[in-house]
Amino acid sequence: MTVRDRGIDWMTFSLYLALVAIGWAMIYTVGYKSGYPDNFLDFLETSAGKQLIWVGISMAGFFITWSLDAVFWRNFANIIYTASLVLLVLVLIFGKTIKGATSWFDFGGGVTFQPSEFAKFGTALALSSYLGNYSRGLKSLKHRLYAIAFFLAPLLLILLQPDTGSSLVFLGFFIVLYREGFPGWVFVAGFLLGAILVAGLVNPPLVVVTIIALAGLAVYFRNMPNRHRWWTLALIALCIAAFYGFKLGYGRYTSIGAGVALLGFFLYHWAGKQRDMAVLVFLSFIIGSSVAFFANFAFNNVFAPHQQERILVWLKPNEADPQGAAYNLNHSKMAIGSGGLVGKGYLKGNLTQGNFVPEQITDFIFCAIGEEQGFLGVMVVITLYILLLGRILIIGERQRSDFARLYAYGVASILFVHFFVNIGMTMGLVPTIGIPLPFLSKGGSSLLIFTVMIAVLLKMDARRI
Amino acid sequence: MAFNVKNEVVVRVYVVLVGIMVVAAVILAQTFKISVLEGQKWRSKGEALYIKEVPMEAERGNILAEDGSMLATSMPFFDISFDPNSSAIDSTEWNRNLDSLAYCIATFVNPEFTPGGMRDFLLEQKRKGKRFVPIARNATLAEKQLIEKFPLFRLGRFKGGLIIEQKYRRERPFGLLANRTIGYVQGDTIKVGLEGYYDEVLKGEEGTQLMYKVGGGSWIPLENLSKIQPDPGKDLLTTIDVNLQDITENALAKAMMKHKAEYGVAILMEVKTGAIRAISNLGWTKKGQLWETYNYAIGAATEPGSTFKLASMLALLEDGYVDLQDSVDLEQGRTLYFDAELQDAYPHAYNNVTVKQAFEMSSNVGVSKLIQHFYGERNKADKYIARLKDFFLDRPTGIGILGEPEPYIKTPYSAEDGWSGTTLPWMSIGYELTITPLQLLSFYNAVANDGVYVKPFLAEEVQRYGETIRRFPVKQVKGRIAGKEAIRKAQQLLEGVVESPWGTAHKLRSGWYRFAGKTGTAQVGYQRLENKTRIKGYQASFAGYFPAEDPVYSCIVLLSKPREGGFYGGQVALPVFREIADKAMVTKEGLYPVVNAETESRLPSSALPTNDAGWNEDLKRVMRELKMPYHYLSKGQWGVLKASPPDSLKLISRTVKDNLVPNVVGMGLRDAIFLLENSGLKVRINGQVGKVREQSVRPGTRARGQTVYIRLG
Repeated sequence: MTVRDRGIDWMTFSLYLALVAIGWAMIYTVGYKSGYPDNFLDFLETSAGKQLIWVGISMAGFFITWSLDAVFWRNFANIIYTASLVLLVLVLIFGKTIKGATSWFDFGGGVTFQPSEFAKFGTALALSSYLGNYSRGLKSLKHRLYAIAFFLAPLLLILLQPDTGSSLVFLGFFIVLYREGFPGWVFVAGFLLGAILVAGLVNPPLVVVTIIALAGLAVYFRNMPNRHRWWTLALIALCIAAFYGFKLGYGRYTSIGAGVALLGFFLYHWAGKQRDMAVLVFLSFIIGSSVAFFANFAFNNVFAPHQQERILVWLKPNEADPQGAAYNLNHSKMAIGSGGLVGKGYLKGNLTQGNFVPEQITDFIFCAIGEEQGFLGVMVVITLYILLLGRILIIGERQRSDFARLYAYGVASILFVHFFVNIGMTMGLVPTIGIPLPFLSKGGSSLLIFTVMIAVLLKMDARRI
Repeated sequence: MAFNVKNEVVVRVYVVLVGIMVVAAVILAQTFKISVLEGQKWRSKGEALYIKEVPMEAERGNILAEDGSMLATSMPFFDISFDPNSSAIDSTEWNRNLDSLAYCIATFVNPEFTPGGMRDFLLEQKRKGKRFVPIARNATLAEKQLIEKFPLFRLGRFKGGLIIEQKYRRERPFGLLANRTIGYVQGDTIKVGLEGYYDEVLKGEEGTQLMYKVGGGSWIPLENLSKIQPDPGKDLLTTIDVNLQDITENALAKAMMKHKAEYGVAILMEVKTGAIRAISNLGWTKKGQLWETYNYAIGAATEPGSTFKLASMLALLEDGYVDLQDSVDLEQGRTLYFDAELQDAYPHAYNNVTVKQAFEMSSNVGVSKLIQHFYGERNKADKYIARLKDFFLDRPTGIGILGEPEPYIKTPYSAEDGWSGTTLPWMSIGYELTITPLQLLSFYNAVANDGVYVKPFLAEEVQRYGETIRRFPVKQVKGRIAGKEAIRKAQQLLEGVVESPWGTAHKLRSGWYRFAGKTGTAQVGYQRLENKTRIKGYQASFAGYFPAEDPVYSCIVLLSKPREGGFYGGQVALPVFREIADKAMVTKEGLYPVVNAETESRLPSSALPTNDAGWNEDLKRVMRELKMPYHYLSKGQWGVLKASPPDSLKLISRTVKDNLVPNVVGMGLRDAIFLLENSGLKVRINGQVGKVREQSVRPGTRARGQTVYIRLG
């Protein structure tokens, strides 16, 4: 290992500072219309003032972290991870409940701490440490399952709070696994099943099943010798027929027709030589259908009404009550949409300042950019994020140790999930899930932990451990 | 094809990178869709959140008395605020005007501030980004006009940041006067009296205004965006004569106090036209004060009692069944219809008297016997009822006030109405039927008007800025109720009630003019038991007209359940009628010819208007119209005309200062109320027309919400 210090990666640090500054400016504009006191001490009591304090604390955190040896994090990875799990257990017992989720430790005096933020950092370290060990990696099924267990544990603990948003973030570690060679078909299958699950939530299961059946047939024919390719045409015709069949209310006949067709082709080829392919398609069909039926059943019988509403708002926004479930999304879209191409100008966003968008400075801070800076401003912010994520991946790839590379991927994954889910949520691309936009949203724990994560990464990069 | 490990890693890294780029692209595409492609839709939806159209109240029209004096009027008030962060405020203008603006506000509007303090306050508000700084609430028109001239503010809504919101308050300069008849409107549903009935005329057309939301949940008007100006309501000229109304109300109030009646009604109607000159309804509030609690005159149908005997007599006369000198046996005041005994009010020893005397004595036995004799035979009751219909006693008058009930007259021999053998005799003396005071009065009025029925009315015309827009048809003749001969005899009967020594109104006849009418003492809430009647109270009334020779006014007075000082109509209601008639005879010229009428003197100095005070612009305009030369010496907004002999006329200032009682002597009522109430004073008015002659609180006294009495003359 080298001892040469390459110094801080200024690009990452600048991007980080730029995002924090933009975030603070946006928090300031949201509170602008309500007025700010002249007295600096009183100002510190406002949202923008508190965030300013947290920016200061985070800067301090950055330099403290920077002053620690990079090896420290590898050596203490498992201890930090264990500590974060303990905290996640303790918060369930001693935590403060805000808006139905027991996610906070309250130290009094307005100082709160969210252990789930800390767990992201801990998990990134521990997972990197585990996979970075030469003897392990992702070579055997056992190690693969262990790796998954590393982030499944905090995920489940956070789900108990319950804080669905924060727990979902941990799924981002699959990106790390993918980079490390986790089999690709698992992701494809997972993606497909996820799609079926989502489709099954709000569509009649028979519709989904028929579509799966047709898709299965398509795969089937794709692997047939060329002389059978003309069947593809018939299949497209069948798809169109199925679409109108459902649309015109002949769902049952359409399903039966598709089922019979599937069975017919299956038996025909079973008798032939493509048994394996027939079995694979048939099994996929069974699994896909079960997921579709399960999703529909779960949606109607397991999900709480507010969860059902959120999913409806996401998938069928036109059917949701604009003053009820779709209120947040509609107001968020109004704010973003009213910004237009170039925005209304800084400190001039009537909607974001008028308290029309709920959770404006935490979950919906993105709307303020959309309203005041318009599409161009949004483009700038998104570009900053993409540059930051790309830079982190580059940093990761240039590390000598697997640990540092894995950690960089872990940081990028978490940032990416936050970025995608938060911004997607403000525009209805993903269901309304309350997680902050890194560096921009108001929230002390979040800003501090993301800062420390970046600082650790930059330190590792500087030292190339 | 198989990847080697290094290739596979590269592919995977690119997959991750591409994945991130794809997600970013999707997000950007969605942003583009929302803010650019669908931008207009979301923008307008968003604007709806902080820009709204609000209705703008129109100035409500005035309700005027017959002479044009104001019974109800709307006073404008203003909420004035300042938007120091209006984007159009020029920074040089701001810097140049700030000091003088602060000085003006601190000096004229908000003396709690020093000019320096106000300056700091304004600076602070601007720095804090405030968009809505209240300057004055409930400002008067004069204050508003003053504030509009302040530095910076005079640049207007955007360049000056001045925000003005107008409101109205309904005022009744005469207070209680005809309160219930004037009525009120609350919201869209509660509509009372003339205000309610003519709401469509008075309320005008609402305008619309765009308001937008600024911090702190305030909405401020946006004046440069399209708005519809409200169309002020029109004025309603009523038939109410303030003078007569005052007389009527006072007379009734005195009787109410004296007799502690449950409620009292007095209506004065012009015989020839049907115009209601005065209408008063007095009841008691829970605190025991007299108040116009309900419009009994129009809305309360009761059993009228003896006043209804006129209708019975007129029917008999019109059908030619009796003449005044025919004789009728009073059976010493008691008679029996089937098993029910009917008595006269006083026990007496009369047997055979003339029909006229029976009426004048108000003999129940006499009148009911005549009716029973002529209409009591099988199927003849129809004829009696038909006569009542000829007299318009079966239908509402249709006066413009909501809630007038129909008279209740039983259908002959109808089981449903409970027609029995005793119905007809009791009906003939005013029982088993109900009618409102106004309906009965319009019948008496027709008798006074030589048989011509005119519809009573309260609304004379609709005006706008003093010009007639629509006249309500006056003198709505519905036709004759009976032949001339029968009417003449009926008039003799009514005069006899007053003139004949045995007449029930004889004691209160007047020496210097003659009136005619009929007393009524009806039992209220009675129960007919087997051999006696249990009575819970009486309703004392008097209906008649004056002067008897050439009737000008008809009048009905009714007091329900008097508790002290007697209960007979002649004792309780008649004195009220007398007082009204006496005073009306004195005040109304033409009723009583002036003996030594002189021509007006034409001396030049007295012909010049002097001591007339008012709004300078108004005075100037009048002078201009009259083409009178004058010296304009006034500095303020209010002025007073001073004539100095022999022929020069000066318009000098009338000083009006904040927190001091203003001098309103010489002003018209509207100006006077405006000034006094804006100084936070309560105003009580004596007199009906003319200019303010006196005010009870000395001008220049510190205004502390006192009550100021002003006398008009």
